[in-house]
Amino acid sequence: MKPLAPAWRKAIRLALLIGVLLALYALALAKHDERARIREQPVTLTPGCADKLARYGLAAGATYVSPYALARTGQATVRRGYSEEDVRAIERGCNIIDDLQGQLAADPARERWNATRFVRGTHTSCDHCHQGIGDKQTAAGVPQPGSLSLAASWVMADMYDQFTGILLPYELRQMQCYINSSNGYKPNIADDLIRDVTAYGRFLAAALDLRFGNRYPEQGIDEVTASSTLKRGDDYVRGGALFREKCARCHGPQGLGTVVDGKVLFPAVAGPNAFNLQSRNNFSFVSTILPGFICRNMPLGEEGTLSNQDCRDIAFYVSNLPRPAGDKQGPLAALWQQLMMHVMPPLIHTVESWQRPGETVGSGT
Amino acid sequence: MNVKTGVFAWAPPRAGALGNELLIGLTLAIVVLPQAIAFSTTLAGLPSYFGLYCAIWGVLFTALLNPSRVFHGGPNSTLSAVVGVTLLPVAPQFGPDYIGYALTLFLLAGLIQLVFLAVRPLGRMLDFVSEPVANGMICGIGLYMIFKSFPAFAGLPINTQVEWRLWIAWQSFLAVLEIGNLHAIHIGLITLLVTIVARQFAALRNWAILLGIVAGTLYSEWLNARLGLAATLVEQTANVSAAGFVYPSVPLVAQEAMPDIISIIPGAVTLALLGLFQTVAAMRRMNRRSGQFVDARHGIFADALSNCVLPFISALPTCASFNRMSLMHAMNTGSRLAAVSSALFLLALVSFFGDFIAIIPVPAMAAIIMVVGANMIDWSDIRAHFQHRPEAIVFSASFLSVHLFGLFGAVICGSLLALAYAKWEKAHPNVSLEHNVLRIRGNIYYGSLPVIESLYHRASTDARIDELIVDFSAVHHIDPEGIRWLAEVGRNGKVRFIDRRSGQDRRAVSGESPPDRKRRDRRRRHTL
Repeated sequence: MKPLAPAWRKAIRLALLIGVLLALYALALAKHDERARIREQPVTLTPGCADKLARYGLAAGATYVSPYALARTGQATVRRGYSEEDVRAIERGCNIIDDLQGQLAADPARERWNATRFVRGTHTSCDHCHQGIGDKQTAAGVPQPGSLSLAASWVMADMYDQFTGILLPYELRQMQCYINSSNGYKPNIADDLIRDVTAYGRFLAAALDLRFGNRYPEQGIDEVTASSTLKRGDDYVRGGALFREKCARCHGPQGLGTVVDGKVLFPAVAGPNAFNLQSRNNFSFVSTILPGFICRNMPLGEEGTLSNQDCRDIAFYVSNLPRPAGDKQGPLAALWQQLMMHVMPPLIHTVESWQRPGETVGSGT
Repeated sequence: MNVKTGVFAWAPPRAGALGNELLIGLTLAIVVLPQAIAFSTTLAGLPSYFGLYCAIWGVLFTALLNPSRVFHGGPNSTLSAVVGVTLLPVAPQFGPDYIGYALTLFLLAGLIQLVFLAVRPLGRMLDFVSEPVANGMICGIGLYMIFKSFPAFAGLPINTQVEWRLWIAWQSFLAVLEIGNLHAIHIGLITLLVTIVARQFAALRNWAILLGIVAGTLYSEWLNARLGLAATLVEQTANVSAAGFVYPSVPLVAQEAMPDIISIIPGAVTLALLGLFQTVAAMRRMNRRSGQFVDARHGIFADALSNCVLPFISALPTCASFNRMSLMHAMNTGSRLAAVSSALFLLALVSFFGDFIAIIPVPAMAAIIMVVGANMIDWSDIRAHFQHRPEAIVFSASFLSVHLFGLFGAVICGSLLALAYAKWEKAHPNVSLEHNVLRIRGNIYYGSLPVIESLYHRASTDARIDELIVDFSAVHHIDPEGIRWLAEVGRNGKVRFIDRRSGQDRRAVSGESPPDRKRRDRRRRHTL
C-alpha cells in the first residue's frame, strides 16, 4: 500500500482530534440532559425519610412553618417556603443521608447521584455516624446532644477546621466524610450530591428552628478524652475482651459487619468495608471521636451503659483491626492494605482449621 | 568561565536590524501574554499578575544577565504546574496564605539554584538527569496539565483533594461531562478548536494561542451581551493594570508557618532542578542550532540570580522557554535587544490594555493549558525512547511516577533508574572466548567480575585448552578488586596475559617509572 502524503496524514489526524472532541461534547450534552431529567422526576422516599419529612411538614408553598417548633414552643416562625424543585432536592438529600448505598432504591446510581463512587466498600452510609438521618432525638423528642446533627452543623456555617485550621464552608466540610471512607475519588463541590445534602441540612435547621451562627449542643460529638477516664491508659487487651462481649454479636467477631440479603444490618468496623486509616474515627489519628461515638450510641438499645474507659479501650482495639488505607497513604499503600485484607483472612482460616481440625472458626460475617 | 564578563558582553546590533529586533520583541510579548496569564491562574493558582511580572521582569533580568542572543526566560508551564502541585495541600489557592507560601517556595528554589551555581559538582549533577528521565517527566506533566484543566474548562471549582492524582483526574472528567457549565464548555471548545486549526498553518502557528483566546473571548462577550454574566456564571481574568509597574511582596517566613515551609522543600528542590534543567537543555539545543556557543553556566547564573529577586516583586520563577526561543531563532534574532524589548512591550501592553485582559474567560485559559500540555507530549521523542528497552523502561517509570509519586518522586525514581541502567550496562562487559583466547572489553570492576569469572572458570577448567590467553587490551577501567583478581589469575600457570600497555608505555625503558605517575590505577598496579 502506498503511504499517505504528509498533508493527508495531518488532515486525518486533525479530523480525528476534532471528531473526538465533538463526540465528547455530544456525550456531555446527553449526560447533562439525564441529570436534568433526574432533577425533575418525583422522589421515592425511604421509609425513614418519609416519616421524618412528614413530621417536619415539608411541602412546596410560599411560606414554611415548622410543625415541630410550633408544637414545642407554641410559637411559629414564618419562613420563606420551598419550591417544588427545592422539595425534591431536600428529599433526595434525606435519601442520601439515610441510604447512601441505595439499598432501598430501585435504581441506586440515579436516585443517589452515584454516591457509591466516592466511598469504599458496600457498607458506608452517612446514617452510620449521623444517626437518626442526621437528626437523632431522645425519647422525649428533643435533639440528642453530641449526635453529629446536620442541622446544628449547618447553622455553624463556615467553620474553622479544628485539625487543619482551614476555613471550611458546609459543602467543603462534607468532604471530610468522603475522606473517612475514601477510595481516592472526591465529588466536585458543584455536584448535585453535595448540593442536595446541603439542602437537607439546611431544611433540618429550619424545621428544628435553629438560629444561624449559634452553637448547639447536638452539633459535633461528645469527645471522650483520656482525662475523662480513670487514667488507666488505653488497654488493647481489655478492649478486645469488651468487643467480643458487647460488639461482636452485631459487628461480627472480626468486625466485618452483618449483611443479610444484600442489606447492611450492622456496618463493618474493620476490613475492606470499614472506615479507613486516615479517618478521624481512627483512634491512632484522633483518639477522642470514636470513643465519644461509642459511649453515645453503642451498644444499640443499651446506650450509655459503657464507661468512658470502656469506650476508649474498645475504640483502641477496633482501630487496630485491619482496614483500608486513606488518601494520605496513597494508592500503593491502599493496594497493599486491600491485598492483606483479602489474602490474610482465608490464610489465617486455613492455618487455624489445619491446626485444630473439626473446630469451626468464625469468619466474621 | 567568568559569569561577570558574560553579563557585559553586548554585541552591537547590526546596522538596520534595530527594527527587526523590536518586531521580534513585540511578537514575543504578544505570544507570552496569554501563556503568562494561563500558567499563573490555571496551573499555579496565583493571580494573573504573577505570570505577567515574570514575563516582564523575569525576561528582562535574564536577558540582561545571560549573554546568549536567543534566550527568552519568563513563565514556564512545568514550573507553574509544580507550584500548583506543591502548594495545593498547604493553603487554599489564590488566598493570602497561599501567595505567601508561593513566594517562599520561589525564594527557596532561587537559593537552591544559587547553591547549584556555587558548587560546581552539583551543577554537573544536572547531567545525570538523562533524556528519557526528563522527557518522561515532561510528558507526565503535560498529561497532568490536561487533567488539571478539566474543572476550569467546564467552569467548575477545582478539587482541593490532590492526593490521588489519576483518580481525581477521572472524577473531574466525569464532572465535566455530568455537571459542567455548558456556557463555559462552549467557550473552552471554541478556543480549543480555533487554536488547533490555526496551528495547522505554518504562518499562524505562533499566533494560534492568541487567536484561540481572541475567539473564546469574543464568544464569551457575545454571551454576556445576550444573557448577562450573572446567567452564564463564567469566571473572567481579573484586571491587572491597577497593579502598576512593580508589586513589591515579601515571602512568608513565620514561625507558625515553618512546618508547612519544611513540607514544601521537596517541591522547591523539584522547582529549582526542573528550571535549571530546562534552561541548560534549551541553551544546549540553541547552541547547536545558532552556532553561537554560550556556556550553560551563564544560564544557571542568570536564572538563579533572577529567581532570588523575583519573589520580592510578585513574579513566578523564570526559566528558559524552548518554544519562544525557537521563535526567536526562526525570526533571526541578532542581539539581546529582542528579549529586552519584549519585556518592555509587555509592560506597555499590560499598562494600557488591562481592560481587555480582564475580560478573558477562564475556560479559554484552561483550553490553552490543554493545548500547551498536549504539546509537551512529543511523539517523536517517545518513539525514539521506545526503540531501546532500558530507555523505554526509564521513560515509562518517570512518566508513571509523576502521577503516582508526584514530581519530586519522579525526579528521584527516574534518576535512580537511569543510574541503575548505566551501572547495569557497565556490569555486563563484552566477554568472549575464541579458541583459547578470552577477550574482555569494557570494565573490570566488582560489578562485572562475576560475569567475567564465570566464563574464565569455564575456560580454565576446559581440558581441551592447554594455554589460556587473557586479552584485556580493550578494557578502559580496572578497579582495585579487578586488579587483585587479575593478580590471582596471573598465578595460574595455564594463563598468559596479552600485554595491555600502550605503545608509549612499551617504548619507555622497561623497569623505569612511566611518564604520568599521577594515574592512580597505574600506581596500584606497580605495588602489586
